[in-house]
Amino acid sequence: MLRYITQRILYMLLTLLVIATITFFLMKLLPGSPFNNQDKLTETQRYALNEKYGLNDPVPVQYINYITKLAQGDLGYTFQFDGRTVNSLIVNGMGPSATVGFEALLFGTIVGLLLGILAALRHNTFLDYGAMVIAVFGIAIPSFVFAGLLQYYIGVKLEWLPVAFWNGPEYHILPAFSLSVGVIATVARFMRTEMLEILGTDYILMARSKGVSKSSVIFKHSVRNSLIPIVTILGPMAIGLITGSLVIENIFAIPGIGEQFVKAIQVNDYPVIMGTTIFYSFLIVAIILIVDILYGIIDPRIRVAGGKS
Amino acid sequence: MSMSERKLTPDLFRPANLDSNKAEEISKPSLSFWQDAFRRLKQNKGAMLGLFAIVFIIIFSLIAPTLTKYGIDDQELMRSNLPPKVPGLEKIEFLGVNGVDIRGVNQYEMKSVPKDQYFWFGTDNLGRDQWTRVWKGTQISLYIAFLASAIELIIGVAYGGISAFYGGRTDDVMQRIVEILYGIPNLVVIILFIIILDPGILSITLALVITGWIGMSRIVRAQIISLKNREFVLASRTLGSTNGRLISKHLLPNTLGAIIVTSTFTIPGAIFFESFLSFIGLGIQPPVASLGSLIADGFRSIRIYPHLAIYPASVLCILMISFNLLGDGLRDALDPKMRR
Repeated sequence: MLRYITQRILYMLLTLLVIATITFFLMKLLPGSPFNNQDKLTETQRYALNEKYGLNDPVPVQYINYITKLAQGDLGYTFQFDGRTVNSLIVNGMGPSATVGFEALLFGTIVGLLLGILAALRHNTFLDYGAMVIAVFGIAIPSFVFAGLLQYYIGVKLEWLPVAFWNGPEYHILPAFSLSVGVIATVARFMRTEMLEILGTDYILMARSKGVSKSSVIFKHSVRNSLIPIVTILGPMAIGLITGSLVIENIFAIPGIGEQFVKAIQVNDYPVIMGTTIFYSFLIVAIILIVDILYGIIDPRIRVAGGKS
Repeated sequence: MSMSERKLTPDLFRPANLDSNKAEEISKPSLSFWQDAFRRLKQNKGAMLGLFAIVFIIIFSLIAPTLTKYGIDDQELMRSNLPPKVPGLEKIEFLGVNGVDIRGVNQYEMKSVPKDQYFWFGTDNLGRDQWTRVWKGTQISLYIAFLASAIELIIGVAYGGISAFYGGRTDDVMQRIVEILYGIPNLVVIILFIIILDPGILSITLALVITGWIGMSRIVRAQIISLKNREFVLASRTLGSTNGRLISKHLLPNTLGAIIVTSTFTIPGAIFFESFLSFIGLGIQPPVASLGSLIADGFRSIRIYPHLAIYPASVLCILMISFNLLGDGLRDALDPKMRR
């Protein structure tokens, strides 16, 4: 197990190095410079700016500098605001982003679990079909379409909730709900299949015939056992949440990392693009690693060496 | 208790047919794997509905733009931001296709549009016909999705197939590369690629392919590894089949089910990413439109002109749901074991 974990961490670091390298060289290929738009700059001023941010060095030197700093957790300075570091931008944006993401994950998991359990218990009834229709819709409809429609009908037409911005708890509801739809759908679908499989096993029949109460059969025997494999979908779900947050934050004007990322793309702010990319990659790679290790610990039947299926 | 009261007399029974020639006879015509799969697919109402919706949208996206006389880029500021108006249906008020906007003003009269001009989905802020743009946009979204999936399929099958078939060191090296690439979040790579290459149909397709083939190659590899040690492959090899024959006659046909199922899920994935990119401004650039860029434009003015976002969003949603339904149905039909 220990060997497996070290091996995986090594792979993770290698992946991150590849990502950092690709990101760096792709950024160097980009047309345009961050200071092009400021026409008032003289040649000397532009030279001084380039000098300050190390843009006059040869590319390999810039690369070495970048990787060394990265290893120390320093993502460099943003070009947009004077003297602000990318780290501070990410730290600032992390609050709202993490809050929305966490709320969506919590709400989505609870609702999804309930839907999935109910659908399995009332298999082949109206409730089951209803839950599965919701699941198909939730998986198929892109979160940004859903967010836009919610914003229009609930925010603009009905005026029940604020349309956008980030000024208090009531501002969380629409974005968190739009993000959670995918989570609800994935969890509900997964839970239903798992529950159905477990409800058909011999040990559930055994528990029933022993006279164990219905609630005990459902919660102690079926639900607990169906929960184990759900760990496997945590990774893809987290990636989905991050992808969704990019657009959701833009639609609802939430000052999170996703919004800054899109803004940075539009103004050629290389360090912010690189920093956020690497931050996201780190997040995703770390989540997948943790999920894989967790799964190996929770369910000893899984041969970790077999890798992800 | 009526059962036991009934007298069982010998004349109720008659000897079974013991003709040894007919004992082995199969009463039903034998079905090939694909006939059987299609039969199972036909029983799945959701999947058939999805299939029909997809075929309908594909055909309609090709025919629909020719139904109106407006091109995708025919600007006419005099007729900008018109709400939808459909001949015939305009009499029925609650459908909302009578040329009256959400504030109750008949824009067609206000902007003195000729009586015989109808814009079925309305017009956008430059006076371009939304009907033409939505269906042309559907064409482009579908084109990108199919192209990306086709290239992913070719690369994925080739890579996964070679890796699995030759095994050993080749497999080791190829899988280490995949392992590193697999860890890179595709969202990040796609966005970076689009920034480098100028946004356009080809660059979006390329960006989708760059990360997309990995999933396909992993599935093909897993399938072929499990197949290549089976007895029928060994038998064929013993009879002197070449590698090429083994691959084309035995391994690939048996993997086809998994490949088809994976493709039906990569297509909606590609449609999603394309519209996602267009939505954050990295996708298709004007004057060409895709569903995503139309939705993005529509959302910008959704408070005043909701019709601009609603129609492309509906088409996108129907497409995505249909592909997912069809994919689920195909998976159940082609490989009952994969059910989940």
